[in-house]
Amino acid sequence: MSAVIRFESYTWRYSRTKQPALDAIDLEIEEGAIVGIIGPNGSGKTTLAYSINGLIPRQEMGVRKGKVYVMGREVMAYTPAELCQRVGLVFSDPEAQFTAMTVEDEVVFGMENLGLPIEEIERRLAWVVPLTEIGPLMDKPPYEVSGGQKQRVALASVLAMRPPILVLDEPTTMLDPLGRRRVFQVLERLKREYQSTIIVIEHSLEHLIPLADHMVLLYYGKVLLADETEPFFERLAFLMEHDVFPPGVVEFFYHLKQAGEYPADAPLPLTVEDGTARLRELLGGKG
Amino acid sequence: MTAEEIWTIEEGEVRTPGIGHIVITALLIGIGAVVGAFGSFTLPLGFGVNFFWPAIAVQNVGGIWYGAWGIIAASLFPIISNGISGTPVYVSLAYIPANAFQSFMPAWGFRYFKADPRLKSARDWWVFLGTITVGNIFGAIWGPLVVLKGFGLLTAESVPLFVWGWFAGNEIAGIVFGVILLKALSGVVITTKTFVKRWWA
Amino acid sequence: MQKMHKTILGYVPEASPLYEVHPFVRLYFLMVVSIFPMIIGAPEWNLALILVVLVLMKYGRVSLSTLKLYVPISISMGMLILLSYTLLGGIHPEFHVVFRILGFPIYYERIEAAVEVYTRILPMIFVMVLFLSTSRERDVLVAMRWARVPFTMTYMTAMALRAVGMVIEDFSIVRQAEKARGFDPHGKSLGYKLRQFVMYIIPLMALSLRRSEEFTKAIVARGYSFTGLKNVKRPDYVLSKYPFRTRDAVLILIITGFLLGILYLRYGLGMLTLEGSVTQRWLRQWLLGGAA
Repeated sequence: MSAVIRFESYTWRYSRTKQPALDAIDLEIEEGAIVGIIGPNGSGKTTLAYSINGLIPRQEMGVRKGKVYVMGREVMAYTPAELCQRVGLVFSDPEAQFTAMTVEDEVVFGMENLGLPIEEIERRLAWVVPLTEIGPLMDKPPYEVSGGQKQRVALASVLAMRPPILVLDEPTTMLDPLGRRRVFQVLERLKREYQSTIIVIEHSLEHLIPLADHMVLLYYGKVLLADETEPFFERLAFLMEHDVFPPGVVEFFYHLKQAGEYPADAPLPLTVEDGTARLRELLGGKG
Repeated sequence: MTAEEIWTIEEGEVRTPGIGHIVITALLIGIGAVVGAFGSFTLPLGFGVNFFWPAIAVQNVGGIWYGAWGIIAASLFPIISNGISGTPVYVSLAYIPANAFQSFMPAWGFRYFKADPRLKSARDWWVFLGTITVGNIFGAIWGPLVVLKGFGLLTAESVPLFVWGWFAGNEIAGIVFGVILLKALSGVVITTKTFVKRWWA
Repeated sequence: MQKMHKTILGYVPEASPLYEVHPFVRLYFLMVVSIFPMIIGAPEWNLALILVVLVLMKYGRVSLSTLKLYVPISISMGMLILLSYTLLGGIHPEFHVVFRILGFPIYYERIEAAVEVYTRILPMIFVMVLFLSTSRERDVLVAMRWARVPFTMTYMTAMALRAVGMVIEDFSIVRQAEKARGFDPHGKSLGYKLRQFVMYIIPLMALSLRRSEEFTKAIVARGYSFTGLKNVKRPDYVLSKYPFRTRDAVLILIITGFLLGILYLRYGLGMLTLEGSVTQRWLRQWLLGGAA
């Protein structure tokens, strides 16, 4: 598979800071992959997201070095309108994205900007509304619905533009557990049914891990680790040294491994279901 | 940053009007409408006339920081705040020149005299006071004399009292809240991309 | 009792037959019918217009208790007019004195003029209230878009209305935060309240300015550009949901017809003025005992 996003020695420093937010990073993301980007606050995750869809440097003041390629072309070679058709960005605060009076107007806004004919807008609405389960909300003001619903509306408004690449910047930060689960269910459906390239910046690893094919650890402007999900979490000590706190099940089995109670060469289970199955095997083996 | 530097477009610096300016105008309209509708400390006389109107500060600082965009917001937000309180639509529309000028004067003054929006020197203060006073004089004449008298709401004999009342109310509110906003927020605003050095960018 | 729904502009009924009327027609009604009292001088005709508006509000299922919200402006406006025309109206030996207040003469001609002015302004307020009570925010935007107002302006209006809602919410949050820290202006002096307002206005303004950056990014990320896509006509999906029907065109014609009719009666035939009106005759009878 080809790299649909490529960072080449990319550095970005905001004009108000002395240290670069991203420091000479090299990173490739393959087409159709689901990539999770994790790291402590201030690591440059949002800067990375904005650099992909051109908000940096267009909407921010700073110094840019290196290149970012999206679908084979440098980001700055695209016009903003061209780029937004390729990269959709969902922000962490859904409230800050809503400027329309109804959910329907909000979802339609991006499609109108693209100049799509009314028939095509209706077709896409018929696709994205059931996908994100926002049908009952269409006539409501977007700012009057619940947190989880808001984020699904934000997601719908971006998905409606059918970008082949979707970037979600901490989409569940402001959500309760149920809201969080509903958002990830939509992403799972997207993965299953549409093979989109999805980049998710998240702190909530329980939901991210089952979804992601690859993980990237961004640590204060540098890519410290990038790998497929399973081998990524095998480096658990390294991750924890760099302020990543894995889901309880991963940490539990890691300690079991350290204590010799779990085979050293066996992969760490990444989900509760996996963990339950492995534990059954372990207990069954000793039985 | 000196006052001169604040208003000077450097060699190679490119500033163009953009979405950010549309957004800032809309938000200024929103905040002005709310402050205008709810911020009155005195018994409102009706038709958006208040003897103490804090929203004048939004008009003044909006013009200083955002030039023509602030002036547009200043002209439009009273239509919403007056409209919400039931003021007839044509009375609201007739106020536009007064509201626009009240914002235009400090916007022009700060740019022409290269005064510092952070009000660092005595000269900056004089520019601020002088320009908002001129703006308020025009507003106070336009409002009661042209609008209210024009709609027959005031007699010729009562106009002077309302002119003085409008002027004094706007002047005091403009000084108190304008100074506070300029001192508190100018330092941040002048570093943003949406800060307007000329009239549109 | 009709259920009312709060919007930024006021309270509107959940359902109303007036929603079947195209939003542009409702805006046209506001703009044109607001002119009627400026042409009509006879108070009884302007009061009749108020009755028409009340009937429309009833038909539109607007809860008439909504009118309570506009009582303060009606009263304060009436006081302004009365004050201006009587106590502040100056000395006019040529006018008829009907009584005195603290030595100030109150003239019949001034009272008559004040009545005329008040009965002009009241229907204008009622028409505005009718509009605010039967228009949701989307209706205002649809009306503007149908009138071919440039998209940038209608979008700015939408954002401005949205901003009004957000600022009100921020105001409430800041107020609660201040109260939680013991800052409660209730029952306090004007100076205290002034300080309160100062403490609110800075965070409100700062929040709005910070939001502007977030909104800008969100709008740009969804492809909106100031100058629009080159060579691409922007479709108006929302407008396509509001077809302009024959009955809407008929309503426009009726409203325009009334305007032309009133103009003709007033300027062509000299009717609808204060002179010779029922109200004038009644006022003269009551205040002057029938004397001219």
